[in-house]
Amino acid sequence: MRQRFSRHVISRSDQAQEAELLVLKKRLRLASGIMLAFVALIVVRLWFLQVVKGDEYAKLADNNRLRLHWLNAPRGMISDRLGRPLVANRPCFNVTLAREDVPNTSELLTRLANLLGVDINELLDKIREGEDYPRYLPILLKEDIDWKTLVAIENHLYELPGIHIEVVPSREYLYGDLASHMIGYLGRINEKELSAMPPGTYQPSDQLGKMGLERLYEKQLRGEPGRRYVEVDAQGFEQREVSTIQPLSGSDLRLTIDRNLQDTAEDALDGKAGAAVAMDVNTGKILALASSPPLELEKFVGGISSKNWNAMQTDEFKPLIDKTIQGQYPPGSTFKLVVALAGLSEGVITDDTTFFCNGALRFKDRDYHCWKKGGHGAISLERALAESCDVYFYNVGMRLGVDKIAQYAKSLGLGEPTGINLENEKAGVIPSTEWKRRRYGQPWHEGETLSVAIGQGYDLATPLQICAMTSTIANGGTRYRPQVVEAVMDEDGKVVQSFKPIVDGQALGTAKSLALIRAGMVAAVNTPHGTAGVVKMGSIVVGAKTGTAQVVKIAQYKHLKEKDIPYNYRDHAWLTCFAPADKPEIAITVLVEHGLHGATGAGPVAKKMLEEYFTLVNPRKDDKNAAL
Amino acid sequence: MQRFDRRLLLHFDWLLLVTLLVVIGMSLMNLYSASYIGYPGMAPYIKQIYYYLAGFCLMLGLISVDYRFLLRVNYPIYGTIIVLLIVAIIFGRTTSGAQRWINLGFIKLQPSELSKLSMVITLASYYYRKDTGKGFGLGDLLVPGLLLGLPFVLICKQPDLGTALMLCFVFASMTMFVKLRLSAVIVILTLAVFLTPLVWKYGLKPYQRQRVETLFAPENDPLGAGYHIMQSKIAVGSGRVFGKGYLAGTQVHLDFLPERHTDFAFSVLAEEWGFVGTTVFLSGYFFLIYLGLKVARAARDKFGVLLAFGITSLLFWQAFVNLAMVLGLLPVVGMPLPLFSYGGSSLLTNLAGIGILFSIRMRRFSLGTRE
Repeated sequence: MRQRFSRHVISRSDQAQEAELLVLKKRLRLASGIMLAFVALIVVRLWFLQVVKGDEYAKLADNNRLRLHWLNAPRGMISDRLGRPLVANRPCFNVTLAREDVPNTSELLTRLANLLGVDINELLDKIREGEDYPRYLPILLKEDIDWKTLVAIENHLYELPGIHIEVVPSREYLYGDLASHMIGYLGRINEKELSAMPPGTYQPSDQLGKMGLERLYEKQLRGEPGRRYVEVDAQGFEQREVSTIQPLSGSDLRLTIDRNLQDTAEDALDGKAGAAVAMDVNTGKILALASSPPLELEKFVGGISSKNWNAMQTDEFKPLIDKTIQGQYPPGSTFKLVVALAGLSEGVITDDTTFFCNGALRFKDRDYHCWKKGGHGAISLERALAESCDVYFYNVGMRLGVDKIAQYAKSLGLGEPTGINLENEKAGVIPSTEWKRRRYGQPWHEGETLSVAIGQGYDLATPLQICAMTSTIANGGTRYRPQVVEAVMDEDGKVVQSFKPIVDGQALGTAKSLALIRAGMVAAVNTPHGTAGVVKMGSIVVGAKTGTAQVVKIAQYKHLKEKDIPYNYRDHAWLTCFAPADKPEIAITVLVEHGLHGATGAGPVAKKMLEEYFTLVNPRKDDKNAAL
Repeated sequence: MQRFDRRLLLHFDWLLLVTLLVVIGMSLMNLYSASYIGYPGMAPYIKQIYYYLAGFCLMLGLISVDYRFLLRVNYPIYGTIIVLLIVAIIFGRTTSGAQRWINLGFIKLQPSELSKLSMVITLASYYYRKDTGKGFGLGDLLVPGLLLGLPFVLICKQPDLGTALMLCFVFASMTMFVKLRLSAVIVILTLAVFLTPLVWKYGLKPYQRQRVETLFAPENDPLGAGYHIMQSKIAVGSGRVFGKGYLAGTQVHLDFLPERHTDFAFSVLAEEWGFVGTTVFLSGYFFLIYLGLKVARAARDKFGVLLAFGITSLLFWQAFVNLAMVLGLLPVVGMPLPLFSYGGSSLLTNLAGIGILFSIRMRRFSLGTRE
């Protein structure tokens, strides 16, 4: 039967052939069964892909074809109390990369780097930074390109698949660094901030307020970003727009700040380290809040370099600190206002109680000196305030005790944050026996009360606190909370939130006591020996109190001439004032770090601000030259 | 050559013809969607119509002759194909790294496509002449092994791994069909197990290895080698149950789907018609293959059975490999879906095969001359 390799098999019997045929045909069944199994595999796979996983793949298909472009809302403008813009927006052109559209990144980046005139590694770094973010989010390659570069890139867009030009509103500071500490600055959102935001509200390339009002009012200023969905092909070129949700502009912020007064304050402080605060005594509106030196905002745009940061950190003028609310200084003689109020109200003194000042007070074997070596002689309250006699207030303080003083200081808002709508405000320190025990675990020494009574020792206050205290004294005892925002307005100019005065409390003591203190302050300006003559105005009567805050107690500098004392060891200079005396409107407080004397260091700044206020900001209607 | 026998018409397989026309109709409709825009010159779906016409002429020719005629010309056909394969390697035009084409002007001939059918005819002839009753041992496989090996090596040289493997599939199917001894099966399987790692390391080109690797984790490299698989799966899956609608597939029309009118034509159908569409299509498609098996069962003689089975299994394996590849079950190899994907050589080959099926079916009772 075996006929290997034979070409013809016709010799086999028909019967054998038929049998073989039948066997083969039976085997066909098995074959079709096997095939059916494979077909079933295909159908199951189709079921799995299209029915079970269908929605997932549909989403992937949409991600494939749809690109989401965020449309940034124009950020709200910030203006002064009269609506004069301080911070506006300008269009800024950014270059972004949609990663999923780029088949050959290195070639593309080489081309782009040439057009941008940057090193390709700079672009690669940006891409590496963006690796952690979801792929569908575009990466910001270059911020704020100029017109020439913009045109060059626009002309080559057809050979730059995945590259887009994004128009982003960017901050424009119309008055440079004016009120920079208060306004703050914007920066790229970092990963930590991004994860803290509700998902989908911020993109990694977004800016957000990093400091000051930009941060506090981020929500109102930002508005709502719009979204634009476009369909792209596999090469990343846009085919058509699918849908667009327009952005919602941010709300505008109108501050209580007066641009001119702020400018005057900053000008007057130029070259000094210090702070100046002006406040409407009858509402708590802050008209000027200047900390010198200002923040150089342009250094913060696009992230500050560590070199610049370190320079600011080590600068002895400490530009990073907002000295109005974060600078804590011994209030010096300005604190005598508190002691006077406590003394009068507690009946320790009356307006004609006199003490004798011979230049020092001996207490428990120690001499406590008056600033005036020769002494003031017999002295009563008005002169004591006007000439700032230390011995007088040693006597009053000694009789009150530290806890009474603390009680009145607190009622004037010292020792705790004023609650102004700004960040990181400091509380200052108002010591008491209880405070010392808690803080140091030590009993209070009576001698320390004497230091406290003239605003030295443990006493610490911020310029804003002193200004708020002056306001309270000026308006007859109502403690208004300082505020900087006049109104929040939506994009149509409709006011959505407006200023309301907030009363945080009343000063302890009687109206009469406050009137006597104001009289003392007026005398300080208007009597020949008053310490605050420097702020004397024409027909407008000003009341003021100067102060000198000791920085070091070391006696070794005492005998030196002032100009020979090292800058860091010189005393701080205070001046706080209010005007007009008959119907107070404004309180102004100036602190100049290491300015030596209140009158000469801080006085001129306060004087310029008073002049500005009474001539330009709120001129007298009846007498235009009253101030001059 | 032959007297016209009226019974021939009587036994014409009309059902097979109708099924074939339905499949072709769906194919053209799908090709239109895949290629009506974006192709300069004559659109592929128009060209495909011409190929169909040519294919039907070829089919008609094959129907009109008795299939046993092939027993006389099987070696000449085999020889011609080998020559064409060699010509393709030497003079062939290179497309995507493979030398597959011989330009004849009106058609760019792919001899590797033709070799599939030639393999079926050759093996059917060989096994027909052999007594296969007791099953084949290893020694008996020497000659058919050589018949497979020659075109296999030539096609691997091109390189066209898909077609080369298809020859093996057909060879294995037909050999098993005529019965391979268990001992031989065991020996071959053992050899395969030991040879696979060697072939993996030395036999495959890097891009081929990568294609296999990306099959198992296409997500690792979505813009590289895994792109085709990923995009095809997205296209198929996003069709969901009812599809995105005819001409409305986003994957297709926004260029995400590669090779959309050739190897990945089925993805287009799946995206636009959904699970409902694909099951309807596959029902028709595999019914056609089932009809092929019925032809084998009805065949008059052993040659007819072997030939019909070989042709049917050729259609089946091509379809399976293509679908599995498109659905991400097998690596990407160049493998069209028979009768459905665009491509002249493949179409002509498969229509010729179906022509032979018709011929076998028609002559089930004819008592024509035996060889």
